[in-house]
Amino acid sequence: MNFKGTLPTLILQALAEQPSHGYRIAQQIKARSKGVLDFKEGTLYPALHKLENEGLVASYEGMEQGRTRRYYRITKSGKTVLSKDRNEWRELSRAVSLILEEA
Amino acid sequence: MTAPFETPLDVWIGRATRDLSLTSAAQVRAEIQEHFESAREAAIGAGSSPADADHAAVAALGDPRAANCEYRKVLLTSAEAKMLRDGNWETRAVCARPWVKTLMQTVPAIPLTVAFVMMSRGATAEARLPFLFSVALFVFLAAPFLPVYTPVRARVYRVVKWVTLLALFGLMFGADTLKYSWLVATCLWVPFWTESTRMSIRRKLPVAQWPKQLYL
Repeated sequence: MNFKGTLPTLILQALAEQPSHGYRIAQQIKARSKGVLDFKEGTLYPALHKLENEGLVASYEGMEQGRTRRYYRITKSGKTVLSKDRNEWRELSRAVSLILEEA
Repeated sequence: MTAPFETPLDVWIGRATRDLSLTSAAQVRAEIQEHFESAREAAIGAGSSPADADHAAVAALGDPRAANCEYRKVLLTSAEAKMLRDGNWETRAVCARPWVKTLMQTVPAIPLTVAFVMMSRGATAEARLPFLFSVALFVFLAAPFLPVYTPVRARVYRVVKWVTLLALFGLMFGADTLKYSWLVATCLWVPFWTESTRMSIRRKLPVAQWPKQLYL
């Protein structure tokens, strides 16, 4: 399913639960949407870089199974943006549902 | 055509990092390699053969050209990195020679003095050209030594710079400005290109990492 534009919000939501690395974020989004949101994983990192440039996530190096990995965590401004995005999405979703259910 | 020793992942990374700076390309290579290894391990753990796991992990990354397009929006390209390097070289060259700094600060005063002398002798119309020239020189040569190195002040400076530049052409050509628009466009092309590249770099670098040239 095409969900262009919502990937940053989904990433922020994944990171709001716990700091994570790219691969785990991708798997988390796919698993939580029960496979409906199946995106190309190569586009995940540009989205992460964008969020980092905007100060919404911060990255740091960590170790997992003896391997150095880049982890991402949500920042305070990232949480604010996520909360705003969540409310906007709820409103949009409610409005679209109203229209579609009328048809 | 790919070299015989290149794996599908190398090909993918090569395409995804096209025109990116060396640092950006190294960053992409590291993160994609890390992602690929995790995906490969997960596929092997789920019972795939190593060859199938490799194939599936690269396929899951998607189109490298689409990734390259996205990466170029958020990471420095080689042209942008070159502009930063060249700008740093210019800054160092000026800082290392105090007389260059003094020259840059005093040069705008020369045409300004000429303009005042001409005006005092009654040649007000003729004084317009040296006056405008001194303003242009001031904007480009002396302003970098003013305290404009915060994002807000720098934004104000850039607006002033562009308004001054356009106003200068308006004052210089008067009613004939449109007639000479080709000349204006030719003169402003390089500053405009530089400004647009700097805008792109500003979006990609956090303010804490901005070199002085990005404020101007």
